[in-house]
Amino acid sequence: MKKRKAFRLGITLMLAGAFVSAVLAQAAYAQDTTGATGATSQSDDQKVVFTWAGTGEPDSLNPMTGYSATEFYFWTASLHLLVDFNADFGPEEPDPKFDGFNSGLVTDIQVSDDSMHYTYTIRDDLFWSDGEPVTADDVAYTLNLYKNNHAYLPVGYTTLIDGEVTAPDATHVEFDTTEPTGLYNGDSPYIYAYILPKHIFEQTERGVCPGQPEGERCSPKAYSYVPQVGSGPFVMAEYKVGEFVRMERNPYWPGPKPAIDEIIYRIYKNDDAIATALQTGEIDFGYVTTANIFNTLKNADNVDTMVGSIPSFSEIAMNSGSAYEKAEGAFTPHGDGHPALADPVVRQAIRMAIDSEQLNQQVLLGYGVPGDTLVPPVSVEGARWEPTGADKLGPSIDGAKQLLEDAGYVDSDGDGIREMPAGSPDPGRPLDFRYYVRTSEQTSVDAAPFVSEWLQQIGIKTEVTAVNSAKLTDIINAGEYELSSWGWYPDPDPASILSYFTCDQRPPDGSTYGNNDAYYCNPEYDKLYQEQLGQTDANARWDIVHQMQKIFYEDSPYAIMWYDPVFSAWRADRFTGYIPQPQPNGDPLEGWGGISEVWLSLHPVAGSAGGSGAETKGISPAVWGIVAGVIVLLIAVFVIRRRRAADEDV
Amino acid sequence: MGTRRYILSKVLQALLTLAFVMVFNFFLFRVIPGDPAALLLRGTAAFNPENVERVTHELGLDKPLPQQFLVYAQDTFTLNFGDSFFLKGQDVKTVIADRIWPTLLLVATSTLASAALGLLIGIYSGWRHGSRFDVGAQGFTLFVYSMPEFWFGILVLMAFAGGIGPFPSLFPAGGYATPGADLSGLGHAADVLNHLALPWFVLVVAYMGEYSLIMRNSLIDVMNDDFVMTARAKGVREKQILWRHVVPNAMLPTFTVVLLSLGFIFGGAITVEYVFSYPGLGLLTVQAIDSKDFPLLQGLFLLFSAAVIIANLVADILYSQLDPRVRAG
Repeated sequence: MKKRKAFRLGITLMLAGAFVSAVLAQAAYAQDTTGATGATSQSDDQKVVFTWAGTGEPDSLNPMTGYSATEFYFWTASLHLLVDFNADFGPEEPDPKFDGFNSGLVTDIQVSDDSMHYTYTIRDDLFWSDGEPVTADDVAYTLNLYKNNHAYLPVGYTTLIDGEVTAPDATHVEFDTTEPTGLYNGDSPYIYAYILPKHIFEQTERGVCPGQPEGERCSPKAYSYVPQVGSGPFVMAEYKVGEFVRMERNPYWPGPKPAIDEIIYRIYKNDDAIATALQTGEIDFGYVTTANIFNTLKNADNVDTMVGSIPSFSEIAMNSGSAYEKAEGAFTPHGDGHPALADPVVRQAIRMAIDSEQLNQQVLLGYGVPGDTLVPPVSVEGARWEPTGADKLGPSIDGAKQLLEDAGYVDSDGDGIREMPAGSPDPGRPLDFRYYVRTSEQTSVDAAPFVSEWLQQIGIKTEVTAVNSAKLTDIINAGEYELSSWGWYPDPDPASILSYFTCDQRPPDGSTYGNNDAYYCNPEYDKLYQEQLGQTDANARWDIVHQMQKIFYEDSPYAIMWYDPVFSAWRADRFTGYIPQPQPNGDPLEGWGGISEVWLSLHPVAGSAGGSGAETKGISPAVWGIVAGVIVLLIAVFVIRRRRAADEDV
Repeated sequence: MGTRRYILSKVLQALLTLAFVMVFNFFLFRVIPGDPAALLLRGTAAFNPENVERVTHELGLDKPLPQQFLVYAQDTFTLNFGDSFFLKGQDVKTVIADRIWPTLLLVATSTLASAALGLLIGIYSGWRHGSRFDVGAQGFTLFVYSMPEFWFGILVLMAFAGGIGPFPSLFPAGGYATPGADLSGLGHAADVLNHLALPWFVLVVAYMGEYSLIMRNSLIDVMNDDFVMTARAKGVREKQILWRHVVPNAMLPTFTVVLLSLGFIFGGAITVEYVFSYPGLGLLTVQAIDSKDFPLLQGLFLLFSAAVIIANLVADILYSQLDPRVRAG
């Protein structure tokens, strides 16, 4: 009898406990959300949060070591370039009048008659987010830091600088170059290097990284740079790996006040989650990578979409002779690539057989742009050369067959596969190629069946293998492939992408990396590359750049399949003020620049309080309290019943 | 063998295994083909032989292997795994520590819940084998056991985060908590639970089939034992036979499976973490493998191995207490 009473009492107490905890939870939640940053209600102290999302994880938020496309979006809001990009990838005109938009650091550039001495005038009205003024000293220090510490990306823009960059006073920076050049005269935003605060990075050189725990390894490259001291309207305040990057306003920003208080970048691992989050309003803007998901978003309520073009392409690289080119400098012949690909005729035939328009339609559902040369259609104005008329290699299966036929590559045994001609390095060897695609790049996998089929039609057999990026890097370095698929995001200025295919950029020894993953080596191309670096007249430089593209296209170490589209979608009922770069269809968040105007122009649409970022979604603490109470109750009932049964059994 | 001696021998075995794992850990990631310095520099203007050499030096990969091993051994004993190669400037210990709690919250609790539910289904199914409940439960558990987690996860995401047809959009589409929400206390706890709900549900459903099937089969085996017949002959009630005699004996193999599963919880649940963008150790491992992040891989591998070894040790010790024959043998 006593046991039954105890049982009933226990149940009653537990029910009461569950009820009380639910009530308390509801009260606590109400208290918590009062001070929360939800952006859909309009009280004065609530923040306007712009939340955007993508699948990319930043490699590093420190410009010393970052290099992937994702981190640039944070730098475009927080750090200045010397000469800013305009919306069409050209240079913003240096302008001493500060309006917050045309906001490169340089207001004037003086070039000596021999084009070897440069004096930049730096604006004097900007402040770092800790209140320190931005001065010429910061500029000189940063360029020297990049140069002397071999910062991963920016060092490339300093290679022609002779000696140290100096700052004779607070608003002037001077440097010499090793040869005459037109790269630093402001005709193009060539120095794509963000200016850093000297007073912060100087500490990192002494082993002190502000904001990082003591005892952690610290150096300019090892510095996380979060929380950030920046010069733009926003600075990075928080980064959770795999989750988000949060930016806050720079309190010392002297330009127009942004309409948003915080920017949050959320990292999702797949497009489905981004599409779902966008449709339910968890995020305000998102990038997706697949055309199918993009198509579903096109029909979603309250969602606007854009397909843009950006400087990016996907290619099939052909091993042009890793094993057959002569030793030169650090390069020694290595690998076992098929000798047929050392013959430009075979490469041209492959280029001719690949129908880029078909690939664009089939793989990208028509959203991309068929590819041809190294410089994408969206680049600095005047830089691109486009093959037309007789210059164009296909697409033509018959034309490709004829090329091979004329060069003596015939199918002598009737098995459908052509063989190497007599007098070649390996007569009679069938054109049987290894073709590698990347598992992480679905479009490269999707394109492979089409490419294989076309090559089969011209008498070339391929064996397609999908591998991860690390493995493919090894294969390329070893020269143990014939065809491999990868892609590039070139700078708007063509100098860097053109530099990757000079002879000295080939993987030198079978185990060391080289950018020139097609083992392309043409002394004429190399000579022209040096010439364009030293050219001070922009038009004359573009002439040389065009010649280089033509040579590269004709030699065909790359079959550029397409120029990639960028798929973006945003809530039409939240924010407006996107600035596609380039106009009119590009990247709506203007990913190239410092400072990008978009971060100042974004504002909530009329009648909306803007962003969703800080709003929580899901069921309330009270309901969770009840759920927890019920679970505890069920477990308790189960346990007590078991015990009772056991006791009765005794 | 006495209890103390048995436990000592098991602890010693575990320590030896751990030492082997530590040595193996060092060499494993260095024989995987690929040059981390090259991967780090691909596509950057900084690429040239001098810079590759410089980065190789910065990463400590230019030292002879024995020297690298000595540094590694010393660092491992002090739990200093160095900085992650690719999450530059971040200490491996911190990177892993940040992910442990979300992983435990998701995988440990879902493992326990799926075990509890699976065992209950298995017990009732086995006890009434051949009944309609048993047939239905077997069909259900076989279906969820064979169902790809990734596929089920996408369906759950679309249904309960996106809200399709009759399903309400109840929970967030991904992540661990709402960034910038500035919540604390119960508000924060509820936010975390809201983010946890869908991946947790997927894992519970996906894992419970395994436990249920093992428990059912084990229970049916035990039910045919003589002592069950004896109990019935003595007139013991059916429920008493089930809970006091059959279940404790049938639990032994299931108990091992549950404990070993707990050893794997640090490994995370890669596919479900991927679908729900949940920042667990599983996704971190994939990222580390893709970028050949030696220090991070070494830290993760050691953690995973240690967890499995410890779970094994605990299982051995508890098993010996539950079934003295193990100790004797």
